[in-house]
Amino acid sequence: MPAAPTIFERPQRWDAAFDANMTEAAVDRLLATAPFSQMAAEKFPKRTPLRDILRNDTRILRFRKGEIIVRQGDYGTSAFLILQGAARVVLNPDLAPSLLGRQAPGKKGFFRTLAQIWNSTRPPEFFPRQRLGPAAGLGARQDASDIRVFLQDVPRILDKHRTAEMTAGEFFGEIAALSRMARTSTIFADSDDAELLEIRWQGLRDLMKQDDALRSHINRIYRERALASYLRATPLFRHLNEAQLGRVAEAVEFATFGDYDWSGEYKRLAQSGRVLPEQEPVIVSEGDYPNGIVLLRAGFARVGQKFGTGERTLNYIGAGQIFGLDEIAHNWRAKDLPVNFQFSLRAIGYTHLLIVPTRVMEEIVLPSLPKSELPPLVEKVEADFDFRPPEAAAREKVGAEVLEFLTENRFFNGTATMVIDLDRCTRCDDCVRACASTHDNNPRFLRHGPSAGRLMVANACMHCADPVCMIGCPTGAIHRESFAGQVVINPDTCIGCKACFNNCPYEAIRMVEIRDGRGEFLVDQEMKPIAKATKCDLCVENHGGPACERACPHGALERINLNNLDALAKWLKL
Amino acid sequence: MNRFRRQFASGLLTLLVASVAALGLHEKFGALPDYAFLTGWALLAGMFVLTIYNVRKKLPFLPLGKSESWLQLHIYLGFFTTLLFLIHLHFRLPHGWFELTLAWLFVLVSGSGMVGLFFSRVLPRRLATRGGEVIFEKIPALRHALKTAAENLALGADAKSPVIAEFYTKRLAPFFSGPKNFWLHLVESRRSASALLAELEDRRRFANDAERGKIEVLLALVRQKDGLDYHRSLQLALRLWLFVHIPLTYGLLIFTALHIVLVFGFSGGAR
Repeated sequence: MPAAPTIFERPQRWDAAFDANMTEAAVDRLLATAPFSQMAAEKFPKRTPLRDILRNDTRILRFRKGEIIVRQGDYGTSAFLILQGAARVVLNPDLAPSLLGRQAPGKKGFFRTLAQIWNSTRPPEFFPRQRLGPAAGLGARQDASDIRVFLQDVPRILDKHRTAEMTAGEFFGEIAALSRMARTSTIFADSDDAELLEIRWQGLRDLMKQDDALRSHINRIYRERALASYLRATPLFRHLNEAQLGRVAEAVEFATFGDYDWSGEYKRLAQSGRVLPEQEPVIVSEGDYPNGIVLLRAGFARVGQKFGTGERTLNYIGAGQIFGLDEIAHNWRAKDLPVNFQFSLRAIGYTHLLIVPTRVMEEIVLPSLPKSELPPLVEKVEADFDFRPPEAAAREKVGAEVLEFLTENRFFNGTATMVIDLDRCTRCDDCVRACASTHDNNPRFLRHGPSAGRLMVANACMHCADPVCMIGCPTGAIHRESFAGQVVINPDTCIGCKACFNNCPYEAIRMVEIRDGRGEFLVDQEMKPIAKATKCDLCVENHGGPACERACPHGALERINLNNLDALAKWLKL
Repeated sequence: MNRFRRQFASGLLTLLVASVAALGLHEKFGALPDYAFLTGWALLAGMFVLTIYNVRKKLPFLPLGKSESWLQLHIYLGFFTTLLFLIHLHFRLPHGWFELTLAWLFVLVSGSGMVGLFFSRVLPRRLATRGGEVIFEKIPALRHALKTAAENLALGADAKSPVIAEFYTKRLAPFFSGPKNFWLHLVESRRSASALLAELEDRRRFANDAERGKIEVLLALVRQKDGLDYHRSLQLALRLWLFVHIPLTYGLLIFTALHIVLVFGFSGGAR
């Protein structure tokens, strides 16, 4: 007789609260505080009542004067509401990277470059003892479970930088949280009693859904601060004047799909081999009426087409790209032969997008475009078996197998993915040796990884367009070297918390135990080895670009931006 | 035309032009008294440029250009230097053990370089086609794991199959014990592995259902081991030629330095 199955409770959304120590008294206090006191609790659905959102999706944080709340350039998953005290936002000039726990951008000087000749004799993962203290200009304080990093000379900062005060009742960080964009400013506590409510993304989304005032408040901020400049920079709208652009901005709808914390779920699915396109959230279904164009603001989406019982990938699109323009432009020009969406669009991971309604497109945007910029009329898929949609070009460029491989493994996220052509690679490991020589005898990647045909994607940091590793670093040690630049780790401020290591879905970050000049492990008070996160830094400090790429004698290794398949296609055809 | 073909065409053209020019100059000035001196120093300059490629490899952190460009230069200059070497010898065999040793060293260095070039153009594609990519240094550990799996299946406590145990002891144990068929894999021959698989498949005739299941697993393990041996052979070949090419280069440099000393010390300069 078969054994009776073990029964488990189905996992629920709030199995893991944002703060397990959130008390009922704290929730009562929040419910009596604006804006929650003005929200109609009865409007919230039974599954997500206001009280439960506050209890499970928020936490109360206390900061002392000078402690950093959010850093410019960091990726955050939450917004903040000031409950008590004050905070200060740095407007300009920006704070120096060293004040934010980052390493100053720049190349190595001549002598430091030459010194690498003898640095290769150092023990592996050598770390000077004297660099283990707090970094210059920064201090750190352990607060319950969190590390608080503080600015040590606030008066000087106030003197040299233009700042603005924010007081109780003000929201900040909501745009970065909802759109998965980097934080645009650094904000630090400006009083010793600063108390903030941190609302994680899911909670903010639900609050916005149920409360009109909060939704319109955040939408207004979004339109004012981020949308106008974004639309102005989008080529499709470049022929519009300010008034027309304003009308488009007013009509734009925002939407988010997928899971903000997709990396953990993806890791789990990848390990079980169950990553299937059909499981991804649908943004647009093939055959739907085209009610607006979709502009991807952040994240990635898969363009697919029904094939047999499944769906095959035709292309993937990333931030700044548009879906649905062909169909809407077709319907505007050929009103007698309307078409529906020819392909499906699914969110991969987390996707934040803008929808410009068809009405606005037809009245304002399409008439502004010169004829030469209008897409060609859509040929219906069902009418012609030999029809090749424009999106199929991507498939033809790199081949169906490679396209599916890149999409399944989400490698398109990489802006400097290490790809190896196995037809040319002699497995000489010159790339690994070059990497080690450039990093004091410590290779920062593994010349091995998943492959499809002759293409291998090595286990090296891809410097992602959507760097999930940067979410949750308590000290700001992992950061972009410049805006949209390489993702690097400052070893001096890395505290070895593993946040980035656990977040990276590609397992490109390694935790290493550091040693002194004699090769002995550096240990803490409990005699545990001190660990630091390491990864490929794209030789950002070195002259001439990544050493691995320059070291390959056969041109078999390249760092390629997989957001754009053209570069890969060109390289594969070499 | 793609980049590699472009590189190849331009490299070959340059080599041909340089070779024709060198041969033309040889015809015209070959009889001059200082001719050996001129070709000797040109040969030394060429060897110097060829040798510093290894220095470039040792200093990857310096902005000294792409290794790929250096290799192209190394290959075409290597061919040209070989021609210079023949011109320097007046297309004749040298006399005396020292000069002969020097000449042989040059031939071996050039020859091993050409073998390396051939390997690096042919073997990677074969490895990619075979699949089962594996890091060379991990091969012994993987081989050991396969051996343990096969041994447990054939000789483990619950094996109890004389049909399999006997075959394992006689045929499979030596196969799993270490790397096999280096040369056969290099020449793309599957003869040995196919014979072993056929013999193992033949054992099905004597096996019961449970034993047949084990034979299927053993067949899979043999195929995996064969794939591992294939990767080892080709990856080893891709490395081994360098163990000839580089040490002999140092020998050649030492003999060349002595040759210059001897020429200037005992001949009153090159004639």
